[in-house]
Amino acid sequence: MKTLNRIVSLSFLEAIILCLIASFRLINLQSTVTLLIFNILFVSLIFQLNGSVLKKIFMLTAGNIVGLFLNLIFYYFSLAGYDYFGVVFNAFYTLIYPILNLMWIVPFWSLSLGFLPKEQEAIRQAKD
Amino acid sequence: MIIEILNLIFIFFTSVITIYLIRHYVFTLTVLKQSKTNKASNTNPSLRYEPTVSILIPAHNEENVIGKLLDKMTQLSYPKNKLEVIMVDDASSDNTGKIAEEYTKLYKFIKVLHRGSRIGGKGKASALNAGFKHSTGEIVLCFDADYLPHSDIVKKLVEKFADPNVGAVQGRPVVLNEPHNMVTRLIALERIGGYRVDQEARDILGLIPQFGGTVGGFRRSILESLGGFDESMLTEDTDLTFQVYLAGYKIRYVGDAECYEEAVDTWKAYWRQRHRWARGHMQVCFKHAFNVLRSKKMKLKEKIDGLLLLHIYFMPILTLLSFFTGSLLILNGSSIAGALWFTVPVSFYSFVGNYAPFFEVGVGAYLDGRRRIQWLTPLLIFAFLYNMLICTKAFFDVLAGKLVGSTKSDWEKTEHSGNGNRYI
Repeated sequence: MKTLNRIVSLSFLEAIILCLIASFRLINLQSTVTLLIFNILFVSLIFQLNGSVLKKIFMLTAGNIVGLFLNLIFYYFSLAGYDYFGVVFNAFYTLIYPILNLMWIVPFWSLSLGFLPKEQEAIRQAKD
Repeated sequence: MIIEILNLIFIFFTSVITIYLIRHYVFTLTVLKQSKTNKASNTNPSLRYEPTVSILIPAHNEENVIGKLLDKMTQLSYPKNKLEVIMVDDASSDNTGKIAEEYTKLYKFIKVLHRGSRIGGKGKASALNAGFKHSTGEIVLCFDADYLPHSDIVKKLVEKFADPNVGAVQGRPVVLNEPHNMVTRLIALERIGGYRVDQEARDILGLIPQFGGTVGGFRRSILESLGGFDESMLTEDTDLTFQVYLAGYKIRYVGDAECYEEAVDTWKAYWRQRHRWARGHMQVCFKHAFNVLRSKKMKLKEKIDGLLLLHIYFMPILTLLSFFTGSLLILNGSSIAGALWFTVPVSFYSFVGNYAPFFEVGVGAYLDGRRRIQWLTPLLIFAFLYNMLICTKAFFDVLAGKLVGSTKSDWEKTEHSGNGNRYI
């Protein structure tokens, strides 16, 4: 079971790395940095909470996939906007880009916390 | 030239925002590290330190809630021969005084101090000073009228005073009417971020836990040496926090000394309350910022934390200014502003009074064993935007007060219905 867990965890890690590479190759450096910030926050804080590592890596992977997908949409949105409105849209996009990203990072972060076992439950499980 | 100056201003603004964000990231990590030790309580049950204690309850038209609080006072487990409860009926026009009188007939340790409209009605600080003059305890605790403490709260709060360097203590308020509506839910979330993480981390790191004016107390000798509460301050609690540190003492936070409070439940009441807090905090900032810098009794880390704490209600204004400056610069094609811009929206997901960002609030809720309330974290953005307006108005009001030289103080009371409870 442990070996299976490790294999699955490694696959998830691979998926996260692929997401980061894809964001850089398919989109731009900005989106890679955004995913990195999400990963750093997630790993440094949520990974310290209770719950299995596998579950946390799964949520982190899901976050990266969601982030990559949304950043692709934002990117094509910016290209379309530039086509219609010209350079002005680029400035507008720079302004709204972090806001758009926080609109998925914050809810994803909050939802992830709800999937972890409660603090008291974890203490009880540890005692058992 | 103007663009370059604006760039410098924007860099300064975002640097300040980043300092605050890092500060709260460190707070979150500190509390997470502490929680791993599985330390259920930061009080010491084996310690037997039982000084005489006076509890002050300032009340102005609190007939809806005062009976419940006095009931709780009769259930306190602290030895009654070492305890006195002084309810200051401050120019109430309702039945607050009458209800309290009923309790004085039944319990000798409960006393009522009536202040008529001629001498009373000048605000909470004035009522507390009046109660303080009549009190005799070595330790003086304060509770607002809408608070419902646990029976062992006095022991938990008081035992920190066994350390002679402790000048004041602060317990933890928990929102009682949380499920009432979205306002109360958001306030509950704010309290979790502020107390479960912020205050706790400051206590662990030896920084400045804040005395909140209720669910807390102070050493009698200190307040006597300070000449009582400053009645010109709207937030006499924040003022006392800094007075205590400037006098060379420290404040301890007792996280498991919990007390239930009734949060405001309308946006209008929220505006009134936060506007008072913001104005009061800014007053204290103007009064103490230089004193903190010059203090020889405060450690360097206390000075840094103290200055950050003093300026916390200026942060929404600074974020608002950063938003406009950054937008202008980005529209002008500034690459520096483009690179630093992300810090501004992150601030939008923070609570104002403690500047707790979304990750701090979420971790606090988790550590509290909550499963769903953190799902409301994305809504912080609306509370923050609302607070931007509140703090900006408060800033101009403080400036106007300084120009006019107004020191008028009055009860800016929050209405309490006594309804709704989640825990009791």
